[in-house]
Amino acid sequence: MSSSGQTDKDRWDELQIDRLLIGLSADEQVEYEAFSGRMPASPSGSFEKVVASIDVGWWESNSIPLPEQLRKTIRDQAVQELSSPAPWPGKTPAVGQTAARSTRLPWAVAAACLSLTVFTLFLNRPSKDIVKNATQLRTELIATSKDVIELKWSAGPTPIAGAEGDVVWSPEKQQGFMRFRGLAVNETTQQQYQLWIFDKNQDEKTPVDGGVFDISSDGEVIIPIHAKLRVADVYLFAVTIEKPGGVVVSTRERLPLLAMVKKS
Amino acid sequence: MLVPLLPRVAQGEVAAIDECLDRYGGLVWSLARRLSPTTPDAEDAVQEIFVDLWRNAARYREDLGEEATFVATVARRRLIDRQRKLSRTPKPQSIDETTFAYASPEVTTIETSEDGQRAAACLDKLRENEREVLELSIYHGLPHSRISERTGTPLGTVKTLIRRGLTQLRSCMQLSIRVIAEGGVSL
Repeated sequence: MSSSGQTDKDRWDELQIDRLLIGLSADEQVEYEAFSGRMPASPSGSFEKVVASIDVGWWESNSIPLPEQLRKTIRDQAVQELSSPAPWPGKTPAVGQTAARSTRLPWAVAAACLSLTVFTLFLNRPSKDIVKNATQLRTELIATSKDVIELKWSAGPTPIAGAEGDVVWSPEKQQGFMRFRGLAVNETTQQQYQLWIFDKNQDEKTPVDGGVFDISSDGEVIIPIHAKLRVADVYLFAVTIEKPGGVVVSTRERLPLLAMVKKS
Repeated sequence: MLVPLLPRVAQGEVAAIDECLDRYGGLVWSLARRLSPTTPDAEDAVQEIFVDLWRNAARYREDLGEEATFVATVARRRLIDRQRKLSRTPKPQSIDETTFAYASPEVTTIETSEDGQRAAACLDKLRENEREVLELSIYHGLPHSRISERTGTPLGTVKTLIRRGLTQLRSCMQLSIRVIAEGGVSL
């Protein structure tokens, strides 16, 4: 029994239910893992299956069809992934461990080369394709990175009316994407946008350069982040407007967007 | 009972992807719309959920449960994970403003899922206040504190009602399975 008077079973039930309905904090997740290793499975089955069954029951009476455009995007992503050399779990016939390891490296190298080729193509193809593929890469990053940070842009000291969006960043992979809607299209010969990444381990005066970029549409635009240095502990992303090519140190006179990591 | 599609997806069959989107697109989208703060968030979430599904397709085991329940499980895990991440940043609007845009669930007329049918029948056996908090929590995705405010029920009582309701549902659903297995009337 815990100090609060809760039995282990009560607490285990509470953690299981919170995990399903509201999610767990990092501390609770650790506690959950510890319990799951020693608590016996309930003979009545799992709460997770109960909640999923309720979701299914309610869906069948209140279904909203998947929008056609979204369906097409998901299908295209799936087909693209299916045709890639890196197999899905279960796609490859079972083979011995040694054989699997020996064939994995060439596939990985091929996949890396393909990724590089595709990425190079992104840089040289029309903007429509850049948006489409950046969207897929962003989705992929979010889906495959447990540590990804997602932040909404908020107005900076010199805001641009109607500009909004978000930024995602994986500290482990050092990869991220900015998404914008309503950010003013820039005249590239006169000015460019530049991202700055503020790291707790770095002087506030010298944030990490996150790359120079252009906005070619006031619709949704997704821009990959190109951090010039490793970012250990990000606490703020800031977008400034600079001369073409960007600057080494920004005066921060024109700073339309900020995204701050909330202190935990 | 419908023939599972995920084993075919795991084998890389493109036709199974199409069938899967036809069969479960509405389930995933309905869940994402209800449990996401905005439509763009829901669109992102749905894409992530299907990536999860394709990658975990080989893990589905027909003997352990229905495929629709598996899909709902994968979807809910991803959606709650996203909610948790979003809650670390300032919300653009209250979750109430969007979640209540969707009508509460009606009495179900199940055609395909035995799990869903059992769950709906067992829900009907709960007390009114237990059913209400479960609906606000599971269907509308409200946190316990919001349910407390909305129903005027103390926070501790909300947690108790949710736990008691789910425990009863779990027992009821298990009992229904046993009755079916022994050749009786299902519910």
